[in-house]
Amino acid sequence: MNTKYLRFLAGAAGLALVTATGASAAEGTRVALVPGGPHPYFAAWEDGGRDAAKDFELGAADYKVPPDWELSLQNELIESLVSQGYNSFLVFPGDSVGTNSTLNELGDFGIPSAALAGCVEEPTQALFCLGTDTGNSAYLGTKELINALGGSGKIAHFTGFLVDPNTQLRIDAVERAVAEAGGGVEIIQVIADIDAPEPADEKINAFLAARGSEVDGIVTTAWIPAVVASTALRNLGDKRIKMVGIDHDQVVLDAIKDGFVHGTMLQNPYGQAYIGSYAMNLLNEGCSISDDAPWATTAQTSKFIDSGTAFVGADQIANYQDAMVKVTQEIMTTFKDAYLSCK
Amino acid sequence: MRGAWENLRRTEWFGLLLIAIVGALILAAVKQSFLSTFNVYVMLLGFSISIMVSMSQMVIIAIGQMNLSVGAIGGLVAISFAGFMEVWGLPIPLAILAGLAIGVLCGFLNGILTVITGITAFIITLATLSIFKGINLGITEAQPFYEVPAVVKWFGNASIGPIPYLVILPILAAIAMWYLMNRAVIGRQMLAVGGNAHAAGLSGISVGRTVVAAHAISGGLAAIAGMLVVARLQIGQPTIGDDWLIISFAAPVIGGAVLTGGHVSVIGTCLGVIIVTLVSNALVLLAIDPFFVQLLLGALILGAVGLNRYREVKAEAHRGRTQEAHA
Repeated sequence: MNTKYLRFLAGAAGLALVTATGASAAEGTRVALVPGGPHPYFAAWEDGGRDAAKDFELGAADYKVPPDWELSLQNELIESLVSQGYNSFLVFPGDSVGTNSTLNELGDFGIPSAALAGCVEEPTQALFCLGTDTGNSAYLGTKELINALGGSGKIAHFTGFLVDPNTQLRIDAVERAVAEAGGGVEIIQVIADIDAPEPADEKINAFLAARGSEVDGIVTTAWIPAVVASTALRNLGDKRIKMVGIDHDQVVLDAIKDGFVHGTMLQNPYGQAYIGSYAMNLLNEGCSISDDAPWATTAQTSKFIDSGTAFVGADQIANYQDAMVKVTQEIMTTFKDAYLSCK
Repeated sequence: MRGAWENLRRTEWFGLLLIAIVGALILAAVKQSFLSTFNVYVMLLGFSISIMVSMSQMVIIAIGQMNLSVGAIGGLVAISFAGFMEVWGLPIPLAILAGLAIGVLCGFLNGILTVITGITAFIITLATLSIFKGINLGITEAQPFYEVPAVVKWFGNASIGPIPYLVILPILAAIAMWYLMNRAVIGRQMLAVGGNAHAAGLSGISVGRTVVAAHAISGGLAAIAGMLVVARLQIGQPTIGDDWLIISFAAPVIGGAVLTGGHVSVIGTCLGVIIVTLVSNALVLLAIDPFFVQLLLGALILGAVGLNRYREVKAEAHRGRTQEAHA
């Protein structure tokens, strides 16, 4: 029996003891929101979890970050959180296949889990996947860019880690949108593996140096490349190149306001944490996943719930959060009846 | 003139110089934009940061050790530097001094722990990497500091033609490091300790003091790199330094450093950085498929090191034959 399994046993035994003594009745659902590693995208999870804990009277809905983007570190963190009495897990998979071993172990001990912001491959004991339809977001963002270009031009695509399963989906989606443009648009370069500031800065600026004069548009489908490309266009003073970014970093929002960036594709990390924590609480209270729920299907999972995506341009920038609040409210209104079966 | 050429040809880094020049000429021929003002500026920016990072590792390689925490120190200093200015409103010179002090202190801690415990620096810095990164994340919670003063942002992006201001400090640091390793007593002592610590101790060198000094210098150089990145990126990103490890070892090793210590080359390290910068730039300029970039980067670096080693072996063989003939 390996130490990992022993730690799980110890954690589960502790959890069983807490339950038996009735402490859990007071504490209730204790949700751990675990990203794959430190990244600004997930910061809104903390607010979403905190608000859900308050609104639904959860024992906790805490944001717990592994010290680095390593699957082993994430797994160890999850194991230690079990020992600390967390009884529900919302996890951004450090690896779409590798994370399953940990989620399956949680399931074996009766601890519910779901994938958040990114999905795991099936078969899995993760109950569902709640996240951005990343392919759709990239597709819609590229469509917005093509519209801004008037239906023709040369574009570049800057995206994130190659090991992130979403990256290939994003590359495919951008290609699909371009293919639908009817030959007027051409992708002249894809730069990937730049979801860290320094390589992003080096490669994006090298690209602009080499091909800045021939490129008409840029679509970025990862946080850091969006920030770095916004800064690069601002530094160049270039408003000719149209850019559609992703997410809501202040640098990107400011660049939209000042006209250096055409717009950004918002995701809904706050809603993911809020809705996910709400769902976990219902599952802990005895609800189960409904067999006939209106799941969406992606390349990775047949139990996908889209947490929403929306384009925000200069016109909507002042109230950019409204779009995501609206989507969150819509999902919350129907979530219990649509996806869960509660006695 | 001929003597100078012969001396140049005999240097261990001559092969690297040739590779860098030939590589640049090929790129200039293939891609016109390679020599554009903006592209040269972009490459010099990358060079500026990488040279500081590489020298931070080089000084530790000189004493026969490894510092895995170079990036973590740089990252901690970067967010501290930005945080001091944003949260505490510290004037820029004070924030720079505080950042430098943190870097030197982190390096000093690495050195003193290595000396006191007798545990290898590899293990010590593996642990402190986690500590420094943990402090970084504890302070920032993975959120950047955005309010970097305009003067710092300006410095990070200003240039005279294709020469960024950012390159000034690394060039001065490289000159200082060349002097340290080749002319200064402490630098020679570092190489002596790296070559044979026991013999260095017997000859009167304080091995402990030398090791601590090397780590403190390494921390200081990593600190400067961290602050330069803040100026360049215009934000204090918590992930600064995360990907420094490979370049920190690659450039000194390409430049001829012996990993067991006792021999490093500042000029070779600079050429190593230039070659890596050229290769990275070429992969973007030539629009290489993103899934093959890492593979090609590794293969090209390996090729450069192999060519230089081949030239060295040939030169050694030639010297051997000449000596035999004279004998």
